[in-house]
Amino acid sequence: MQKEELIQNVGETPVAPAAKRSDSIHDDTTAKIFIASSVSYFVIVGLVALIIAAKFSMPSFLGSVQYLTYGRMRPLHVNGMLFGWLLAADMGLMFYVVPRLCGVKLWSEKLGIATGILWNAIILGAVVSLVMGWNQGLEYAELPTLLDVGVVVAWIMFGANIFGTIATRKYNAMYVSLWYAMGTILWTAFVYLTGNFATLFTTGVNQANLNWMYVHNAVGLIFTPVGLAIAYYFIPRVSNNPLYSHKLSMIGFWSLAFVYVWTGAHHMLHGPISQWLQTITIVFSVMLLIPVWAAVYNFISTMRGQWHQLRENVSLKFLMSGVVFYLLTCFQGPMHSLRAVNAIVSKTDWIPGHAHMAVLGAFSFFAIAGTYHVVPLIFKTKLYSEALANWSFWLFLIGGLGFFVTLWLGGFWQGWQWNNPAIPFIDTVVALKPVWHVRLGSGFLMFGGIITFAYNILATILGPKGEEMEANVAVA
Amino acid sequence: MLHKADYSAPFFVAAALTLFFIGGILTTVVPPLIDASWAKPFENSDPTKGVTGKLVQLNETEQKGRKIYIREGCWYCHTQQIRTILADTKRYGWRGVDAPISTPDEFVYDAPHLFGTKRTGPDLARVGGKYNEQWHKAHFRNPADLVPGSIMPPFPWIADNPEEFKALVAYMQTLGRAKNWRPDNDYEK
Ligand code: HEC
Repeated sequence: MQKEELIQNVGETPVAPAAKRSDSIHDDTTAKIFIASSVSYFVIVGLVALIIAAKFSMPSFLGSVQYLTYGRMRPLHVNGMLFGWLLAADMGLMFYVVPRLCGVKLWSEKLGIATGILWNAIILGAVVSLVMGWNQGLEYAELPTLLDVGVVVAWIMFGANIFGTIATRKYNAMYVSLWYAMGTILWTAFVYLTGNFATLFTTGVNQANLNWMYVHNAVGLIFTPVGLAIAYYFIPRVSNNPLYSHKLSMIGFWSLAFVYVWTGAHHMLHGPISQWLQTITIVFSVMLLIPVWAAVYNFISTMRGQWHQLRENVSLKFLMSGVVFYLLTCFQGPMHSLRAVNAIVSKTDWIPGHAHMAVLGAFSFFAIAGTYHVVPLIFKTKLYSEALANWSFWLFLIGGLGFFVTLWLGGFWQGWQWNNPAIPFIDTVVALKPVWHVRLGSGFLMFGGIITFAYNILATILGPKGEEMEANVAVA
Repeated sequence: MLHKADYSAPFFVAAALTLFFIGGILTTVVPPLIDASWAKPFENSDPTKGVTGKLVQLNETEQKGRKIYIREGCWYCHTQQIRTILADTKRYGWRGVDAPISTPDEFVYDAPHLFGTKRTGPDLARVGGKYNEQWHKAHFRNPADLVPGSIMPPFPWIADNPEEFKALVAYMQTLGRAKNWRPDNDYEK
């Protein structure tokens, strides 16, 4: 019955297992550019991440070089992972997914290639600016205005291409992933303009409020919807299984569209910002549970009776652990926004634990799964090594869990100590040193995951291709 | 009703943007119109109404110091806000006097704002006057020498650059001074 409802609702959208492969109409050059560059940045920025983690264990490590100081490496890490790796990988996957859901070629492959070149230029400009310390002083919006303008142009090019493809689509009904792709493009445009341009005309608390609207929604209305677009496409696709419920995906999408944008000010709880705004933001933060649980329930139910597939399918492993991390991180979020909990965990090491579970555990896992699935298809070959892919999964999972869990425990303990003013601050620093050592160790494991992932993708791209291979892939 | 969005892209765009703009405008454009303290610089000369003081703008040197603070990413490790949490007012107090809670009207001239999100090091909202120049010099050269166990990175290129060092310390000494809270106003020079 569920299946019938689905087919009825999504019309001829090719998400059902019966859908034929019609890859031949797709060129995929743009997808290739974005995916290949994002994976390269993942490696480079992963190295920066290790340097930062090492600085917590050994503060003087690379400490006498101005350009490698913590305060410059950290924004390089954050911006590099968000825009160099994750967003580029997500865009690459959208360039793959959207034409297939529309049953037509990408609107303009030339425009797509130009977007890819511009994006790479922006990332290289960002690396130079951040290392030089040309920092605007606003989180997630560190880059100089010139580069911000470049991002806006690239985003318009990306949006025109995706909307152009959707406008010329052959299938009338738009599958969930298409809504999320379109939502991402529209909301990101305004969220980005708020965070990078409106802030230039404001000061103090007013500016901070806009800054947090942007920071919060960079995750909530950029990485969440595009991540969900990927999950909604690849979970049914990889498991050869129809999506459980169209209605549930509607509830999830439209509640996300309404609720997320209200919650930016929860980054200032207990801080110098109007109490009533804090209360509004708390109420809406708790409501975030609705879109999250709707999506997660849908994904889990889609897998009903199919869990055995996890054993041999690496992409599914990444996808479903990503779903679990998504559930957890989005349970933490609303809880942090409760005043009593916030008074303990806010500003502590708990927060990077939480943030990494969202950006690495959930959304990067989705992007990695998509990349593993898509790269062999667009390069018309087979994945270089399934065994190596499996290794990368376990390295990411164990490293990630080690990182998240120790930072939560450490952060909670830190917050507890801070709330006792009799404990000198420096004692709370020294108390956390074991936590930071474990974090560094976990960092090495995660970096191992990155290396095995990137090597596998590189070897697949450079490896043998051909008709024979194609035939094999079609079965897999 | 929203089923229409499954088939019509223009309808979808209109619905997605409408829902977004309701919350977007109500939480970003409207609040500063309602709460005047976001834009009115702090000033109070009446002790019966609470702590007295006046917010003044940074001079050129202090402004330069603030730019160095931004360039070096000090704000990734230090917040600048005494929150409405008892332990914050006690911990960042001075000689038994509690630090006053930070209010929006103390930050009207801040662009970019430096409230911060992470306390790898202590809050600096009221650090002005706590240490003298000599202390800062030793601290920037290698924090762990002065505070054993510190993980604050060394900044020798600031300690050894008299102009930058002077500017940064001048900025540090302005932090929290809008409110006259310190006993005898004993700001170190
Ligand atoms: C990696 C994080 C980190 C960075 C970056 C950092 N600090 Fe610190 N800072 C700390 C830690 C930890 C302490 C506490 C131990 C100590 O006093 O050294 C501290 C302490 C301080 C103190 C003493 C506060 C007090 O009340 O005792 C001042 C002042 C200070 N830092 C200023 C700065 C400035 C200015 C910069 C940028 C040039 C900076 N810090 C960059 C971590 C950091």
